[in-house]
Amino acid sequence: MSQHGAPAGPTDPLLEIYLERRGNLVRFFAARTGSASVAEDLAQELYLKLASRDRSEVTIENPIALIYRVATNVMLDRARGEARAGAREAAWRTSAHVTFGGEDVAGEPPADEAVASRQRLRQLVEAVDDLPPQMQRAFRLHKLDGLSHADTAQRMGISVKSVEKHISAALKALTARLGR
Amino acid sequence: MINAWRHGDEARRDDAATWVVRLEAGGLDDAQAVAFDAWLSASPQNVQAFDAALSVSRAITANAAPLAAALPERRTVRPDLGRRAFVGVGAVAAAAALAVVVAPGVLGGPETQTYVTAKGERRSILLADGSTVDLNAGTRLTVTLARDVRAVTLVEGQAVFDVAHDTARPFLVAAGDRTVRVVGTQFDVRRREGRLSVTVARGAVEVRPSQGAPGTAYRLRPGQRLDHLEGAQIARVSAAEPAEVLGWRTGRLVYREQPLAEVIADLNQQWATPIRIEDAGLAATPVSGVLILDSQDAVIRRLALLVPIRAVRSDAGVILRRDAASDR
Repeated sequence: MSQHGAPAGPTDPLLEIYLERRGNLVRFFAARTGSASVAEDLAQELYLKLASRDRSEVTIENPIALIYRVATNVMLDRARGEARAGAREAAWRTSAHVTFGGEDVAGEPPADEAVASRQRLRQLVEAVDDLPPQMQRAFRLHKLDGLSHADTAQRMGISVKSVEKHISAALKALTARLGR
Repeated sequence: MINAWRHGDEARRDDAATWVVRLEAGGLDDAQAVAFDAWLSASPQNVQAFDAALSVSRAITANAAPLAAALPERRTVRPDLGRRAFVGVGAVAAAAALAVVVAPGVLGGPETQTYVTAKGERRSILLADGSTVDLNAGTRLTVTLARDVRAVTLVEGQAVFDVAHDTARPFLVAAGDRTVRVVGTQFDVRRREGRLSVTVARGAVEVRPSQGAPGTAYRLRPGQRLDHLEGAQIARVSAAEPAEVLGWRTGRLVYREQPLAEVIADLNQQWATPIRIEDAGLAATPVSGVLILDSQDAVIRRLALLVPIRAVRSDAGVILRRDAASDR
């Protein structure tokens, strides 16, 4: 199960919990960063961070919450590193909402990697076009035009919560139609 | 709220989509993180549902530009409200309500708004009529929404217009000595250094000489591109792939046989350090390919794979020379 082998020395309960949940954490990172390979990297970094933490804290109130907090920090650390590496370029990437982590954009993809086959693209277009109008508009503003939930809400004159609902419902419908 | 303990495929798909959307939008607090972890751990089917939703979401993000270009015109929210706000009597309440949701400064008559983007900055604006304008970096334009006409002047730069349908108020984009006239459509206009190009993604537009300028009018359909040198009588119309031309909105520049000088003019809108081309022959070299806009160095490296150039850094910026070694 573990991809790191058994932790050396006396077992560390936090690392055990991490190893049990590694799959969940990779999914957390993948959804947050939009890149499977960045997610793997970050999961590895998280393991190292947890293994090298200060253990003077004897009891951990809520180990799962702690692991996700550290996970978020690992992700932010990397984002900050990238920001330092090129503030303008990082800003560009964020605004382009192509990805966090630079993977999709900076990874020098071949010209057509991101481009789906004509047939697949037609399926995507039809599926999005069939969404109900408000749901479709929220989904398109967010996913295709790259607006944040808040900006989408402002543009549509509805609450952020409603935007989240619309976009989730749209993704659910699209997954039912296109998934697998 | 996400309920981790509901059962059934329907609830599962709901939860999966909600978690993906929430994670893509931002972080989780402690309670949400614990709930997310518990939900994924609860069953392998939950994991499957999550993976399915995430992969569809990523496929859509990866194809955002072609999807946006291929989808029919966006349905605007409450177009009637938008229009009513401009036709006087009884419109005060509507206008007041509208002020909450739209860009400021569009109420109270045909005021002219100026929108400017700096180098490396892009911006999306919503006009009070429901149209949207995406500004590329280094762009300046003005918008005047009057009762009988929607007038935009593209002073410099590049923008994609997604125009709300309104036959009573034509949408005009003036760019140099040409004016683009629209009813409802999506198209890209670029004006840099005396060169104008217009590419239509949906609907139809008319490009005609601005008042007093000589020349012929052209009507463009989707997939057509017009190129015009300011001051010239004529323009050239050719076929274009709108998804490519509009790709800059997601950080992709696509070129087909365009002169290197034009590519560099685009790139120079993105970064403060200017790129110069050393000789005129090199400037005219045609470029075909896709450039992903991440960092200037990386883009120049990739550009060197498309054209035989060598980049030299100096105090004055980056100089591009013909690379004799790799002359192909």
